[in-house]
Amino acid sequence: MMWRAIWAIIARELTRMLRQRGRLLSSMVRPLIWLLVIGTGFGAMLSHFGPGGYQQFLVPGLLCMVLLFGAMLASLSLVYDQESGVMRMLIIAPFAHYWIVLARTVSAAVVGLVQSVILIVILVVIGYFNAAVNLAILILGLVVTAFVCASLGMLIAVFSKTLDNFAVIMNFVIFPVFFLSGALYPVQHLPLVLKIVTLVNPFSYGVDLLKHAMLDGLTTPLGTDFTIGQDLLYMIGFTVAATGVACLRFSHAPVIETLARILSTPRRR
Amino acid sequence: MAIKKAEQPGSDKTKYAIEASQVGKSYGDLRAVDRLDLSIPEAQFFGLLGPNGSGKTTTLHMLSTLIRPTEGTLSVAGYDVVKSPVSVRRAIGLVFQESALDRNLTVDENLRFVGALYNLPEHVVRERSQELLELFDLTTRRHARVGTLSGGLRRTLDIARGVLHRPRVLLLDEPTIGLDVINRRTIWRFIERLRQEENMTVLLTTHYLEEAEGCDQVAFIRKGNLIGQGKPKMLIQSLGAYILEIESEAPDRHAELLNPTLGTPVQEGNRLMFCVPNEDFPVAELQRELKSAVHALHLRRPDLNDVYIWLNRQKPRTRR
Ligand SMILES: Nc1ncnc2c1ncn2[C@@H]1O[C@H](COP(=O)(O)OP(=O)(O)O)[C@@H](O)[C@H]1O
Ligand SMILES: [Mg+2]
Repeated sequence: MMWRAIWAIIARELTRMLRQRGRLLSSMVRPLIWLLVIGTGFGAMLSHFGPGGYQQFLVPGLLCMVLLFGAMLASLSLVYDQESGVMRMLIIAPFAHYWIVLARTVSAAVVGLVQSVILIVILVVIGYFNAAVNLAILILGLVVTAFVCASLGMLIAVFSKTLDNFAVIMNFVIFPVFFLSGALYPVQHLPLVLKIVTLVNPFSYGVDLLKHAMLDGLTTPLGTDFTIGQDLLYMIGFTVAATGVACLRFSHAPVIETLARILSTPRRR
Repeated sequence: MAIKKAEQPGSDKTKYAIEASQVGKSYGDLRAVDRLDLSIPEAQFFGLLGPNGSGKTTTLHMLSTLIRPTEGTLSVAGYDVVKSPVSVRRAIGLVFQESALDRNLTVDENLRFVGALYNLPEHVVRERSQELLELFDLTTRRHARVGTLSGGLRRTLDIARGVLHRPRVLLLDEPTIGLDVINRRTIWRFIERLRQEENMTVLLTTHYLEEAEGCDQVAFIRKGNLIGQGKPKMLIQSLGAYILEIESEAPDRHAELLNPTLGTPVQEGNRLMFCVPNEDFPVAELQRELKSAVHALHLRRPDLNDVYIWLNRQKPRTRR
């Protein structure tokens, strides 16, 4: 009964993604700048890891970056969807309100995944995707990480009242989550406080899992920090808990009432 | 998915699409809706009228299960809004004050999206969209992005969106707000067409009171209280044949002067309004009499605005 609604929500999200070409393009350019500019710069400094060693280390983190921006922004858009009108359709649709959270989490994850696949294709073409990758772990890692990003975004979205500003989201959510993971440097060398934050951050485990998929076959000192089992356990646990809390919160009558109020207040501006 | 009407054998009582009994909604000390009683029979066209802030949207949101009443019981299409919200939502179509469409998608894509949300089979969505687009003269815009449509067309599409699943009860919150007069008339015409085609119960709110004359039944709401209800024609007739408006420098003196013949007027600044009970009231004489003393003297037919004005005037006396 719900699958058609969920599929429609996914299809709409993908259509939107493909129609906003500029945004899609910039979400591809962003990781490539990291790889080709910053990766090259630091790579030269860290040349004792072998030629291209640092760049190879960066690739898993950058795939996760695409998931983070794609999936998390898609689920955070719940907050400013009040302007798009879709929230009005969803809130009066004939299913329990928590389905809105579930369906949008899934669709956000799918958006992130599609973007990460596009990036992989680009990486293959420009020769930064090594052949020694463990495909099963890679796919598993991408999917689970996409859900982590989507459910983290959803959790923030259902609790926030003020996150309607893109710059605020970037500075206080996306950047901290990205920088305080193992995406750019190995976790074990971090000072204690940052290390703790990184260990709590579920995104770190996604980066780590992709490192397992892409770096295990290589001999590089810039390796992984956790086991595959730890990564999966933490991420799946996080996704289930975050989604559950988001569903409960969103189904709460006062939350829906406030939302309904906002949805029928004539737009300022 | 066709919704079967629960036919009760042997019962020929009027079925109510909407039944509210002592329904209230408070926000702290503010009673946004106060002990509301409503019984709206199936297939009726009902207008809930009142100025901004009177509680219309709050009422509609309670009917659509988005807001829980803090008091009373409320059922829509036979389902209790608190106990079976999903069944209520399946039975209603709601058109918000603001557009419930995705501007980035086309007209067609929006309708298909809604069809999927209601789990309608695809061929039903296709036929139904075709039907509605024809009914609302939107066929040529089928593949246009909603963002490129004018305000009037978007509102029209929004109504089509609200009835795609053939709801038994259609709720419209200020469907004509923000539109020019021509578009407002068009929207009313479309609602009328829809009623003829689908035989659904329609409840709409508006603060343009005069336009609600086409409703079967209207109710006036003020600060959350129902202050009057009836058939528009009857309510208007009960005021009298005409409304006499007088603008004068000395309104108090003229009010006193005319009181014996026309009763107590409604006074707004230096404007007086009297109800003229019968058709053959000697206006010409009055005009001659007052010619030099007043700025303007104007006789016109009453409308629902006047009904509201008079209800407002009487209210403090009858209810408190
Ligand atoms: N969530 C809320 N919190 C506090 N007051 C509210 C809330 N929602 C509505 N109100 C108040 O309830 C009253 C009725 O509002 P509303 O139903 O929107 O009126 P209308 O639709 O007739 O303009 C208004 O005074 C409004 O300010
Ligand atoms: Mg309103």
